[in-house]
Amino acid sequence: MNVCGLIVREIGHRWLNFGLGLVAIVTAVTLYVAFSTADEGAARETRRLMRDMGFNLRIIPRETDMVRFWSSGYADHTMPEEDVQRLAAQEGLSYAHLSATLQRRFAWQGREIVLTGIQPEVAPPGTAKTPMYTPVEPGHALVGAAVAAELELEQGDEIQLDGVPLTVERCLVDSGSLDDIRVYVHLRDAQRILGLEGRINEIRALQCLCIGQESAQDPLSELQAQLAQVLPQAKVVRMQAIADAREQQRVLMHRLSAFVLPLVVVVCLVWIGVLALLNVRERAGEIGILRALGHGAAYITALFLGRAVLMGVVGAVAGFGLGTALALWTGPRIFTVTAAALEPSAGLLLVALWAAPLFCAVAALVPTAWGVTRDPAQILREG
Amino acid sequence: MIELADVSKHYRTARGRVRALDGVSLSLPAGSFTVLRGASGSGKTTLLLVLGGMLQPTSGRAEVLARDLYALDGRSRARFRAEEVGFVFQMYHLVPYLDVLANVRLGARQQEPQAAAHTRELLEQLGMTERLHHRPSELSAGEKQRVAMARALASRPSLILADEPTGNLDEENTRRIVDQLAAFRDDGGTVVMVMHDDCADTYADRIVHLEAGKLAGAPSSGGES
Repeated sequence: MNVCGLIVREIGHRWLNFGLGLVAIVTAVTLYVAFSTADEGAARETRRLMRDMGFNLRIIPRETDMVRFWSSGYADHTMPEEDVQRLAAQEGLSYAHLSATLQRRFAWQGREIVLTGIQPEVAPPGTAKTPMYTPVEPGHALVGAAVAAELELEQGDEIQLDGVPLTVERCLVDSGSLDDIRVYVHLRDAQRILGLEGRINEIRALQCLCIGQESAQDPLSELQAQLAQVLPQAKVVRMQAIADAREQQRVLMHRLSAFVLPLVVVVCLVWIGVLALLNVRERAGEIGILRALGHGAAYITALFLGRAVLMGVVGAVAGFGLGTALALWTGPRIFTVTAAALEPSAGLLLVALWAAPLFCAVAALVPTAWGVTRDPAQILREG
Repeated sequence: MIELADVSKHYRTARGRVRALDGVSLSLPAGSFTVLRGASGSGKTTLLLVLGGMLQPTSGRAEVLARDLYALDGRSRARFRAEEVGFVFQMYHLVPYLDVLANVRLGARQQEPQAAAHTRELLEQLGMTERLHHRPSELSAGEKQRVAMARALASRPSLILADEPTGNLDEENTRRIVDQLAAFRDDGGTVVMVMHDDCADTYADRIVHLEAGKLAGAPSSGGES
């Protein structure tokens, strides 16, 4: 009987040992394939999301001193409120949210607050978006946590800001940021309080993009050029935080898989090695009699390593199938935009088909060497 | 022809040096049936393994079937075992996942065209025709030993080395095995068998006694011990 025949029959006889080894290699290949497919999907999803979400922009007056802008958190100049409508009416420009604000530091009851007037958001026609800011009705105010605590304000209290009466609609929870000293009011009220009727000092535009230019070489430049035509008196600042966060999230996932996969590989390597050792020990008598029958070390080695390679091949195919199925099954829940692009990768199958058998053979190498180099006379004498 | 000249085999153990064989010189003619006797640990199995090319002696020379065994390289010695020697052990050493037929074929020379027919013929002679596709776990001790015997004979060896092959068998199976070995001798083969009881003595051409790794007296003829 040839080596292959012996391997197949032995596997049939000691199916539990082989099966446990197979579980290890299938697990390793499944995780590798699933992580790799998901990783590729995550990269594709991030690229697509960042492309589709366009750019998150802060549009401020052109003459704004940027040093003061970054230190105070708002522009020290103003621009016409109509700019929002001009932007919203511009053809060839898509956006998810548009909102104008007017912010100023303001002395109130001996304390400095940041008065923030918010215009009701402008949403694209036919869409119902969750607002970027909590809307504030005219005559109402949302009070930051620090201000509320200092002035012992509660919901329903009546206050006056430079003669404008307001009702405290809500006191905000502690945020640990500048927002704790903000008082949010409707844009109209802020303009009245500050004496800046019809003026704003910032437009926030989320997911802003030139339609038809999504795949342009430099879509940001395209967008800035178009905005310059619509709002020549404004300058545009890109908020990178969201895009960066998405990319960081993807990199984090990549690092996680880079940590988990080697760990799984080591555990599976030890697992398969131990099972191979048990198999070699159990078959000591068989090794002894095969040597007595004149079979050399190469034949015995082929028996054990061939078994390991077969385990790797079966594990590669099964693991690839499972890993791909796992990725395709979970993918649509994770990658909502590019789920359709998730597909089995022939490249991964090829990698699995050479790596898994090699992996199993390496795991079985030491136990096999131990078995082959044992003195057959001693094995036979021991019975 | 078997010639052992001053063969010693020493082992180092935790409790010191063990002299499993200590200067054994022995001459056994081809076509003979030799029984090795001795107490447990007297070196019988060691001697058998040395004769089979499985265990290199510490010193001395072992010439078996006109070959200086331990002057051969490992591969040549393996080929010598495959072609010239058949082993039978008390514990059978059958491969558990192979059926009777496949176990016996393991011992056959793969390139021989009549190997399959010869294998079946041997199993028929040993009364195993009904058990060809049974696994060792489905056989009785006597049947297992008969399979082991068939495997040893499958390569048409010149020498059979049997290590207490009847140790686990009843009287009837013991007689079957010994009869088979005697028939092998009668066909010109050489048999060296380790055996405790005297049931093979009537077939034995000589009986060799070992004691603490040394020959105890001159070999006696069968039936004289």
